[in-house]
Amino acid sequence: MSAARPLWLRLLHSVWLRPVLLLIILLVIWDIVIRVFAIPPYLIPTPASVVEALVEEWPRLFGESLVTTYATLGGFGLSIAFGIPMALAIAYSRTVESFVYPLLVFSQSIPKVAIAPLFVVWFGFGILPKIIVAFLLGFFPVVVSTVMGFKSVEADMLDLARSMKASKFQIFLRISLPQALPSIFAGLKVSVTLAVVGAVVGEFVGSNSGIGYVLQIANGNFDLPLMFAGLVVLSMIGLLLFIAVDLVERLMIPWHASQRGGIQATP
Amino acid sequence: MRIMLLTLAWLMLATPAMAQDNDDVTLLLNWYLYSEHAPFFLGQERGYFADEGIDLEIQEGRGSGPTVQAVAAGTVEFGYADVATMIKAAAKGAPVKAVGVLLQTSPMSVMGLTEKNIRTPEDIKGKTVAVTPGDAMSQVWPLFLQKTGLSQDDFQTVSGDAQTKLNAVINDRADLLLGYLMDQNMRIFDATGKDVHVIPFADHGVNLVSSGIITNTDMIQDNPDLVRRFLAAASRSIQAAKEDPEAAVDAMLASNPDAGKRDTLLRGLELTIPLYHTPETEGQPVFRVTDANMADSVQMLIDYGGVEADTASDPTVFYTNNFLP
Repeated sequence: MSAARPLWLRLLHSVWLRPVLLLIILLVIWDIVIRVFAIPPYLIPTPASVVEALVEEWPRLFGESLVTTYATLGGFGLSIAFGIPMALAIAYSRTVESFVYPLLVFSQSIPKVAIAPLFVVWFGFGILPKIIVAFLLGFFPVVVSTVMGFKSVEADMLDLARSMKASKFQIFLRISLPQALPSIFAGLKVSVTLAVVGAVVGEFVGSNSGIGYVLQIANGNFDLPLMFAGLVVLSMIGLLLFIAVDLVERLMIPWHASQRGGIQATP
Repeated sequence: MRIMLLTLAWLMLATPAMAQDNDDVTLLLNWYLYSEHAPFFLGQERGYFADEGIDLEIQEGRGSGPTVQAVAAGTVEFGYADVATMIKAAAKGAPVKAVGVLLQTSPMSVMGLTEKNIRTPEDIKGKTVAVTPGDAMSQVWPLFLQKTGLSQDDFQTVSGDAQTKLNAVINDRADLLLGYLMDQNMRIFDATGKDVHVIPFADHGVNLVSSGIITNTDMIQDNPDLVRRFLAAASRSIQAAKEDPEAAVDAMLASNPDAGKRDTLLRGLELTIPLYHTPETEGQPVFRVTDANMADSVQMLIDYGGVEADTASDPTVFYTNNFLP
């Protein structure tokens, strides 16, 4: 059936090509807007100059992006290591919930940019303050969605398991955890993209390397093509990490509704 | 009803007529308020700008870069910004020009707590210096090192934003920072009560212009009269502040009580006033920069500031003294 379709139609239906097509369309619009309104390059660079900067500065951008990625992964790892146990405690104990949850929400409203300079004072100019800012930004979505996941486990299923004399651990492993996983992964995906932002905030405040450092220098020189190239690299880091979490999710919960039929909503 | 309509009509006619009397002008500063800005508030308070038919609004800035961009985009009429930063933007095509260079001697310095006993460039060896990557000072820094016979390997560098630099020195994570000789040293003193020893770049052969009044080239073309009047009022303000720095600081505090501590601002302004001139322009009216000073600055930006030589072959396109009183 599908073999009968012409090639262009099959390409159009390919999952990977669609976002690329949209991206190309957006780039064309960007270029046209700059030409039509004669926007000068010191305000917005042209797509071509950004691509040029991306190619020309690639070795350097790649090297700096590794630094940012390490900080992001560090923060993301801490978010998982602290977020999930804390969410479990909140989900399973009303006492913990009543003590901790309001404070957690309160702390989340503190702008991280405002306190990031203090981390440099406390932890120096190394990678640690960046990891901590990434952790602070990435931590909250993990906790909230994990709590939600465990709290929305079907009560009938739990009753059924208990009536069949399943142990608490068995219930957790066989019913609660599998049912909570989709929601945990939703939180992890949000968390990993926020962790990238956190790492860059940390680099802006105090750093000798990383994409945030490149952005600062490019900004000081009115080098907008390099700055936008840095932003593209950052987005790529976020995208790749998101895809990585998505792959792990497919491996762990292949049975879930969200995974059926690939990531396409329509066949 | 008819009376209402008539009133409305009268208001509509009258409002533009009233606005014609005075030009609304916004001056966007380079940074949050500090001592350097006090003269403009004195001019505002004493009505020097009103005398020239200008309703002046002074706005705080977030760095010279964004200020230059706002002037280039026509968002504000005038900017008070680092002229070297403006030249870099102009070399990239931004339609901006300096119409009066106020600080003709650079306030850029490297400074540390006096107790650390770093008195000469030679003492920097083996120490840690905090810099903000990409800012004006970090770009002049290599020239200072060259003039003083130091190399990047002689000391450690840590990078961070403006606040991080201060924190680093205050908390002993760095021995020195790159800053302005009327700004960071005051802030460190206010925070710690400790004296700061300053090594100005200008004392070691770095000749570079600093803050000045900039405007859009369209403004120069379309409304040269306004530029002339604005600079007349600004010159009067600066002159008055030179004669009575206390009044300038009081005017700034009256307008913005949060601008800082009075003593600190006054000391800062007193340190700023000598920077208004180079030995060549001593005794002359303010804002009037020499061609040699500008040519040196542009050459320095080509050598160290990433400005391409072919975009800056003629230094005179970046400034003019023609509108000064």
